Amino acid sequence: MSSPAEVTAAMPPVAWQQRLANFRIIPRIETYPVLTKFAKTAVGKLLILALFALGLRFAMKDWIPLSLGLAVITFVPVQRRILLTILTLLFTFAVPWANWLHPLYSSALLVFVIAIGAMLFWIVSALPRSFIGRHPVFVLLSGYSLLIVFAVYFPNDTPRYLTVWEFTATFGAYLWFIGYSLLDCRAVGRDDFALQLGSYRPFWGSPTTPFVKGSGYLRRIEAKDADQLAVTQLKGLKLLAWSLLIGLFSKYFSIGVHVYLAVPTFADAFLHSVNRAPYPWYTCWTSLITGFLGDILAISIVGHRIVACVRMAGFNALRNTYRPLSSRTIAEFWNRYYFYFKELMVDFFFYPVFLNYFKTHKKLRMAAATFAAAGFGNAFYHYIFNLSYISQLGLWPSLAAYHVYIFYCVVLATAICISQLRKRQPPPEGFFRRHVVPTFCVALFYCVLNIFDYTERTYPISEHFRFLAHLFNLTI
Amino acid sequence: MDHREEIRKYLKELLLQKGDKQPISDDASLLLSGRLASVDAVEIVVFLEEKFGVNFAELGFDQELIDSVDAIDSLIQTVKK
Repeated sequence: MSSPAEVTAAMPPVAWQQRLANFRIIPRIETYPVLTKFAKTAVGKLLILALFALGLRFAMKDWIPLSLGLAVITFVPVQRRILLTILTLLFTFAVPWANWLHPLYSSALLVFVIAIGAMLFWIVSALPRSFIGRHPVFVLLSGYSLLIVFAVYFPNDTPRYLTVWEFTATFGAYLWFIGYSLLDCRAVGRDDFALQLGSYRPFWGSPTTPFVKGSGYLRRIEAKDADQLAVTQLKGLKLLAWSLLIGLFSKYFSIGVHVYLAVPTFADAFLHSVNRAPYPWYTCWTSLITGFLGDILAISIVGHRIVACVRMAGFNALRNTYRPLSSRTIAEFWNRYYFYFKELMVDFFFYPVFLNYFKTHKKLRMAAATFAAAGFGNAFYHYIFNLSYISQLGLWPSLAAYHVYIFYCVVLATAICISQLRKRQPPPEGFFRRHVVPTFCVALFYCVLNIFDYTERTYPISEHFRFLAHLFNLTI
Repeated sequence: MDHREEIRKYLKELLLQKGDKQPISDDASLLLSGRLASVDAVEIVVFLEEKFGVNFAELGFDQELIDSVDAIDSLIQTVKK
């Protein structure tokens, strides 16, 4: 009988690589026929919902209403889309009602914003050949920019001043969701507004970046039958479990690094640099790298949790973050790190430029579209994201103080542009050259660029360069 | 080579460049399923513009239009009419 060592030696290396590639910490339960068959039964659905609710309990505050909503949508799949709208409205108005200081006032603001969304949707649908019909996103974003300008110059000694800013903030929270519904107006078989409303900050929770895109995308990824629903829900359950595992790892990673190893956080290391008392350069590197890894873990946890809920609701959405550290190009990392933000930039800025301008200049066309998305779109999104800086500092001072992030966007756009324009070549031979070198370089680029990923307006860019120089033991 | 075959061949090459050697059926989703990314969608757009004269600025772009061999084929049929 051969020993285990002999068996191992006899196995071809490809088999081991294949085994490694196929290894999953959480098994691919959605591929087990027994489980998918069970997931289609009433008992199976109840069990999946119960396990999911148990997982949500550790992940979020509103886990009870969310679990109940998912249960309703699971057992009435035929009415999934309209139930999505009803649940979204309940989560918009009823669930947070008790926490609002002035519920009627807050509700009125929300109703007004939704009504504007409905009106725009109706105009764009009814008048497709008009200017607004042909350029709905341009009109929406320009209109919102004008609203901000109006709010900035609104007299601050009047009682309506706060209302104007609160309305601007509420509109801002819905801006990209309304944008997606306007983009859907031209689609064949578009949903009517009642269904579009389900994608306006859906009940599964979404940051300002729409998770998961708009009504058009939901229509395409919706489970069409019981088999698809079973697979989608099992994938949702698996993703939530993965999110909880990453959350646990992240917690102990943070304790291990910052408590036991006493590595300062990136914010702390940066502050010491600003105060002219920097930590040693190697400590700064450790802070930067652990901060970068922490960011990836944090975004994965939140994104996975939301996408898990989307899948439980019967929509087979792609993950928001998918193995970013395995990216072999800068463009690939951007795609894998925060998928729905990248999609937002692509849908609202990249395609409009790419499909309409510089068609005869292939490289210029790609460069212009990439700068429109990763450069301008990215900067615009984050500038209007935090209105408190604009209201406190004013329009131009807040823009001037935003120069660090603008620099970040320019460098990012340039790098993505170069990454996309480089001719695709077959990957080089050998594990080291094929995987280790490119992934290391890409991760290093984003890690260092993180020094400038700064949307606050406190320190000038010179402080960021000072920190960068200190990483190489240089003083400027 | 008919255009359906041409599309199939092009998509296979695109997938191969990404190291994806899995076979594709004509109705298989490529973009919405995540096998191809938006960067690849751009390449498909350029391919369709150059090879078949598709003008997305007029048509209106939607990833669903180029999501599979079948979808692209039907798009080309529409443009040709």
